[in-house]
Amino acid sequence: MKHLIPEFEHLKKRLPPGHDATLLVPCLRRVQEDRGFIADSDIDGLVEYLGVPRIQIEEVLSFYGMLRRAPIGRWHLQVCHNVSCSMRGAERLLDDLTGRLGIQPGETTPDRRFTLSTVECLGSCGTAPVLMVNEAYHENLSAADLDALLERLD
Amino acid sequence: MPVMFINDQPVDTGEHRTVLQVALANGFYVPHFCWHPELSIVGNCRVCVVEQEGRGVGIACNMPVAEGLRIQTESEPVRAQRKAMLQFILLNHPVDCGICDKAGECTLQDYHYAYNGAPALSHEPKLHSTKFFPLSERIILDNERCILCSRCVRFTREISKSNVLGMEQRGDGMRVRPVEDRTLDDDPYSDNVIDLCPVGALLSRSFQYQARVWYLEPTASVCPGCARGCTVQLWHRRHEWRLKGLDGSHNERILRVTPLENPRVNGAWICNKGRDLGALFGRPRAGQALLKGRPVLLAEAIDAARRLVRGAGRRVALVSSWGSNEELRAFRNALADRFTSFVKADHRPGEGEVVEDDLLIRADKNPNTHAAQALFGNAPADIPDDTELVLVWGEGADFSTLPRGAKIVHLGAWLQPENGYADVFIPISIQTERHGHYTSFEGVVSAFEPCQRRPEGVIDAETLFPLLAAPPGSDT
Repeated sequence: MKHLIPEFEHLKKRLPPGHDATLLVPCLRRVQEDRGFIADSDIDGLVEYLGVPRIQIEEVLSFYGMLRRAPIGRWHLQVCHNVSCSMRGAERLLDDLTGRLGIQPGETTPDRRFTLSTVECLGSCGTAPVLMVNEAYHENLSAADLDALLERLD
Repeated sequence: MPVMFINDQPVDTGEHRTVLQVALANGFYVPHFCWHPELSIVGNCRVCVVEQEGRGVGIACNMPVAEGLRIQTESEPVRAQRKAMLQFILLNHPVDCGICDKAGECTLQDYHYAYNGAPALSHEPKLHSTKFFPLSERIILDNERCILCSRCVRFTREISKSNVLGMEQRGDGMRVRPVEDRTLDDDPYSDNVIDLCPVGALLSRSFQYQARVWYLEPTASVCPGCARGCTVQLWHRRHEWRLKGLDGSHNERILRVTPLENPRVNGAWICNKGRDLGALFGRPRAGQALLKGRPVLLAEAIDAARRLVRGAGRRVALVSSWGSNEELRAFRNALADRFTSFVKADHRPGEGEVVEDDLLIRADKNPNTHAAQALFGNAPADIPDDTELVLVWGEGADFSTLPRGAKIVHLGAWLQPENGYADVFIPISIQTERHGHYTSFEGVVSAFEPCQRRPEGVIDAETLFPLLAAPPGSDT
């Protein structure tokens, strides 16, 4: 985490003094982007750097589903399971994925290639069902589209 | 002074800044869970709603006062909203009042009867969560009963500053949890969260299942644990509920200790040591007067002490810093001219105990050193070898350091080996058996009241000192 401090210093300039704790979420996102997850050493580093109590970092980490405490596979498959996507076939999509990858939502394949998650609304109900792979949306996903997509992900 | 109207009555807002404060100060009770006068405002329980005429309902805890503001605290829309809020708060609450220690002093129970009183509207099964989650050696947490008001969390952030507690997860999975690497054992003020909890979620292990609170009553007292002199309430069975079927100790026992709010001394808090006064006062008592370890009648022991007090030679008294102001004055009036008096520290910091901090805890672990030193000076005890009599009042004296040839008169309340070593031992009463006052290190005088019976054969020190000053053979 230490090597990101210059970047955090830059963010700090945009805030009035005494509001360092506000940087907690941007810092955590940046750390996760860098490492792939939030390690214990990152929490200790942020406690020291931002001067926030450790419990407040733990609260934020447990509140946001997007923040992770453990490493995941190379490709993070996130299936929306809210109403619009479910009506348009997200459940079939999920069954398909669990069958093909042999893992349940929340798990990672033994070769660390895929991690499967179910997520709440991704804000793309008009193009349901939606699968988010790392940062990219794959919309209006049919079974054939899914086959083609998984071929491309190595 | 701005004037506003609550339920059509003009009230002076005074120094208060929110409608809830003004209403409570003027006798209009507005229900509230998350708001507490000593903590920050979060406004998450939503039951303190009031109606601002022309503006609809809003939460009173965060509503600023203004000149001419017109508030209704019990109008139809207000009651309807409180009822809806209580339905919501009780959605996953187990309603296990029958086995809950908080029943009888639970605000959720009170508000339910006042505003809701209806069975749940929801037909969904209630969510289950952890029960008996150990937060520390002293406190357990029942997450099913928790209404997530966050008072306990704010206490550890704003008052005790231990930052141990937080809210994890979100929605109906949200739970109060300690930080990963610590427990509430690190917080010497942790037990205050038990009083702060408006429901039965945070429970004291020592008080759990000990008594229903409606069988208990509090007696105002002063914590003798340190020189701060926090005012406390000692809870014991109501006299009409002292039953012959219960054994005597259960009828007399101090079951729990809570703070007695006192802005001049301790505010709304006390430390964990103050919570354990029941154990301190529950130690085995000395009830038998002794002459060199031989049991005698109290009158006989007093007469023996009188002879020693009137004898020739050098006499030294070690005065108790646990004596009340009245007892210290009685000693000075009756006996001070016969003794060279030194003030003794009856208690010293125990192992692992927090010695001193910025909130309440003081390094001097005795309640009345201030008053004792005002009467007898603050010189350290200097006992010459040719001393012929040492009067030891209270605990904490090391008998092995007293001059070999000196006679010892010991006035003590507890069963200790030293009692038999003294030439005369006279059992005296403890704080819970008499009235009195302590003077704190800041000079604040606080009163304590008795709540336990004085055992047979035990005498109040205040009565004893004039008797010791009388010539041998006088009445006792």
